[in-house]
Amino acid sequence: MTLLDGLWAASALTALVAAAFGRHPAAGSWLTVLYGLQFLVVAMMGGLSEGADPVPASVSFVVLGYGLAWQFSALSWFFAVITAGAALAAAWFVSGAWGRAYAARGGDLRLLQLALALNPLAMYVLLASTDFLSLFVGWELVSWSSFLLMLSGGGVGVRWALRYLVYAIGGAMAVMAAMAQAHALTGSFGFGALAAAVPELSAASLWMLVILLAAGFGVKMGLLPFHLWQAGAYAETPGPGAAFLGAISSRMGLYAMLLTLFGGLGLGTLQALHIPFTPLEAHELLAWIAAFTMVLPTFTALRQNDARWLLAWHGIGQGGYMLLGVAMGDALASAGGMMHVFNHATYQAALFMAVTAVVYRTGTADLNRLGGLVTRMPLTFLVLLIGIIGLAGLPPMNGFVSKWLIYRALIDEGQPLLFVAAVIGTLGTIVSVYKLLHNIFLGRLRVEHESVREVPWSMLTPMLALAAVVFVTGLAPGPVLDWVAAVQRELGFAVLVPTLGGVDRPDGGLDMLWVVGIMLAGFGVGALIFLAGGRARTVHQLDNYAGGHFLSAEVRYHYSDNFYAGLMHRIGSWYRGSFQWLQDALVSATDFLAQGAAGVYRAVQPVTWLLGVTVLALWWAW
Amino acid sequence: MTADAVTLAVALPLLAGFLSPALGRSSRTAAQWLGWAALAASAAVLWSVWVRLDGGTAAVAVGGFRPPLGIAFYLDGMALLFALAVPVVTLLFWPRAGTPQQFALTLVLAAAATGLALSGDIFNLYVFYELTAVASFGLVAAHEARRAQAAALRYLLLSAAGSVLLLAGIAVVYLRTGTLNLAHLATLAPERLQDPVGLAAFALMLLGLGVKAELFPVNGWVPEVYSSVSGRLAGLLAGLVSKLAVLVVVRALVLVFPRPEAAELMLVLGTLGIVVGELAAWRARDLRRQFAFSSIGQLGIVFVAFSVPGPAGIVAGLAVALHHLLTKPALFLLAERWGGAIEGLRGAGRGQWLASTLFILFALSLVGVPPLPGFWAKLLTVMSLMEQGTGPARAGAVVVMAATVVEAAYLFRTLGVLLARESGAESPQPHRGPDLATASLAGLILVGSVFALRPLGDGLKALAAQAVDVDGYVRTVLGGPGMAVSHPASQAPGGAGGGARVAHVPPEIAS
Repeated sequence: MTLLDGLWAASALTALVAAAFGRHPAAGSWLTVLYGLQFLVVAMMGGLSEGADPVPASVSFVVLGYGLAWQFSALSWFFAVITAGAALAAAWFVSGAWGRAYAARGGDLRLLQLALALNPLAMYVLLASTDFLSLFVGWELVSWSSFLLMLSGGGVGVRWALRYLVYAIGGAMAVMAAMAQAHALTGSFGFGALAAAVPELSAASLWMLVILLAAGFGVKMGLLPFHLWQAGAYAETPGPGAAFLGAISSRMGLYAMLLTLFGGLGLGTLQALHIPFTPLEAHELLAWIAAFTMVLPTFTALRQNDARWLLAWHGIGQGGYMLLGVAMGDALASAGGMMHVFNHATYQAALFMAVTAVVYRTGTADLNRLGGLVTRMPLTFLVLLIGIIGLAGLPPMNGFVSKWLIYRALIDEGQPLLFVAAVIGTLGTIVSVYKLLHNIFLGRLRVEHESVREVPWSMLTPMLALAAVVFVTGLAPGPVLDWVAAVQRELGFAVLVPTLGGVDRPDGGLDMLWVVGIMLAGFGVGALIFLAGGRARTVHQLDNYAGGHFLSAEVRYHYSDNFYAGLMHRIGSWYRGSFQWLQDALVSATDFLAQGAAGVYRAVQPVTWLLGVTVLALWWAW
Repeated sequence: MTADAVTLAVALPLLAGFLSPALGRSSRTAAQWLGWAALAASAAVLWSVWVRLDGGTAAVAVGGFRPPLGIAFYLDGMALLFALAVPVVTLLFWPRAGTPQQFALTLVLAAAATGLALSGDIFNLYVFYELTAVASFGLVAAHEARRAQAAALRYLLLSAAGSVLLLAGIAVVYLRTGTLNLAHLATLAPERLQDPVGLAAFALMLLGLGVKAELFPVNGWVPEVYSSVSGRLAGLLAGLVSKLAVLVVVRALVLVFPRPEAAELMLVLGTLGIVVGELAAWRARDLRRQFAFSSIGQLGIVFVAFSVPGPAGIVAGLAVALHHLLTKPALFLLAERWGGAIEGLRGAGRGQWLASTLFILFALSLVGVPPLPGFWAKLLTVMSLMEQGTGPARAGAVVVMAATVVEAAYLFRTLGVLLARESGAESPQPHRGPDLATASLAGLILVGSVFALRPLGDGLKALAAQAVDVDGYVRTVLGGPGMAVSHPASQAPGGAGGGARVAHVPPEIAS
């Protein structure tokens, strides 16, 4: 029995326990322990990132003459450790008060626990893929288990889950087409056979493979124009489920792209694949798609008034950074893109949990109906603050490191336009996460929230732990970059050799230990000045707001509705909803065709119809 | 038991069918038991023949008249598989609440369908096809509802027109070759049917058989009939009868019309069937109609898969056909209590967990979620089409995959309604025990086959290799003296008893 078998067994056991005892009051704790066990098994495979041999699974099948085998490599391990961590945090969050409250409100806790347990299991299967066939099997398992998780809350979530399903099946079919095409071209499902056959393949075949794979896996990542399902589907999933999905689920698309496009076909193939009549190559096309995915969904997030939707839209946008980095393909950019997977998972899970904590206490995620909670939920505030700094990509959090690597590479590679796009995306992120922080925690407390208290420790512990990871891996990104370097080595990218604090380069590196040190010193000076500034007067929170202007407690004033009115005055007309229009048009067209198809069966004279067809067939035969 | 005994598999249900109304006058129960016994005996005969043949093939000259003049049965893996499916499925979908007349018709249907699977010459095929049509028409018309009567009339008209087309096609073939024996035709076709007239004959036969096989565009009867008859009958027609018609088409395609144009016609019509069927199912607001349209789409996939030349196409086609044979009848059984407008079923699946679970299982397999069998069937289809690499084949593969998206959308939308938290105006009655038991059996087989994928795949490949072996077919039916049973590995010893009589080709016909 290998460690991979052990991981699958632990994960399957978790799912079984969830299915059998999901409603039991103590089940949450048992499950958390089991998720901890999964994490431990993954950690025991840590040698993979130090160049150890791949860990195979003992099970393998031969189906219809095709072998199915699985193994974990450095790439698998990197994604698996994120998955295991996110699952552990989410399960911990559910385990106590939140789960009880969910069940008390009529939620199906067992279904949620089961769905939450099936997702990492499916991902561990996917991450162990060795060829197209095992990849597709794992891919479908992941798609359907996340579908189950999206459904588990009922209500609006079901509608979004069904929309997700249509997109997911469409993506899966693109992957199936690519797989069948690869088999038709090379006679095998192996990535190695494909890589070996690349020199003999025509540009048309290569383009077909690239487009099918990018589109198929891009659906999961929410790449433009396949992004419309993601925000709603993730946001309407019950809180901890959303945290897990937002952290890692759509990154499976990036994993599969890394495996097939960059590892299988090879980065060199993409760089040599020229788009006719343009100065672009295939990898630049991917980079530009990524750039649009960074910018447009981020600015859509800016307009959201529901905290969960805001975060979910950012999840789509951040996926763009990851693909941008990987598609640029040099040591810095690809390291940045892959490290961003880790970074994003940590802060996104923390952010979703913080928002879920707010919903748990106040019953709403509506950014126009919150405010001033900082004094009531100070630790949640802290988690959210750390999270948004990470999301915005500012020091001293880990998001800064990955984005710095990407910016730096874009400048090095001479891609000023992509650089500008990345900066615009970051600008939109900063602006919109400020809205998130402000509308929930700052400003004036609402009367109905006067008695709100901090959430219990069962929820705070995973949140704080994640926030600590966000900070620590920002302070010392070296270890995570080491894992990334192992992935780069496996996939044939140029390898970035990191230091503990970041990157050491003759033309200017990054040492986060120094950056954070100087920042903290600056804060220290500021704190000294503040403390030396004399007496402060404490007033009631209902009595102090409006920028120094006096308002009595009777006058409600909190500036959150129509936030950024001025900004929207400038850019509001740019929001066209073109993709929504495109999707609606497609659905309408299908409906129209379907009406025609159903009309065939309303034909009054079936026999006349049949004879007409016969005449046509005879005419064809001649 | 010799291979000759296989005629009993057709004769026994037929005989029981004729006795059943008379016996039913005194005792309905006795008639029912007679039917069951006949079907069980038929299944037993077929099974023992299959075991005895052990992967070989055999030809049986019924009544001792030697082919190509006499009536011939041809036994190979594919024929026996479908022939065996007939009594088994008929037993499972037996009209339990029916009258002795319905028992009789069901038995005649089973006998005719078995004959359809085994028959080795086109004239017999026509006779059995007509018998199937008459029996199924009677069964549809036996439903009291006015809708069923109207649907039956429509079915009758289309069936009759289809029979005429089939007969016309057969007539052309006979005019050109002077024979109707499939093996004999296989030897003559390369020189006498390789022209537009031969192609026209195939087109006529395809359209004629297509009426039963739900081939677009001659399947106008399907939605009306399936939505107005009982789930059991719909399952029998959609699952079994349609597949046997497809089997006949495939035999004709492989043995008599092995031309790319013929396969292409099948591919194009199948592709159109997928598009129209799945889209119409997407719009259908009635659960049974949705299944009926979905069945049209699935049969389209069957046709598309069988249109790929060589064993790869046969394997894919068999896989899709068997998968559909397993899932769609079971779904029709579940629709027995969930008939009517889908919106009226809001919340109906809650509290009926077995039925809901089965629905989910069949839906997942139809959409093609690994590791369920539906996935492998779909994968084989797409791969064989891509492997073929021609434009229409690729278009077919794209349509198969696009249809999957539509199929997932409507099946899971329906499931969303069934499992909705809020409940509809009236809650339907719970499912009947036998219906649930049959559907559960199908579900168990479906799940069980996941664990037997390897032998199943090997078995299908062996069947397909046998089915495309035209020389083997000709040798078995017309071949050397005393070689009634031909075996791929070694010849069966000693002429295989007195049953199977095989003749040389008379020189005046062979020339």
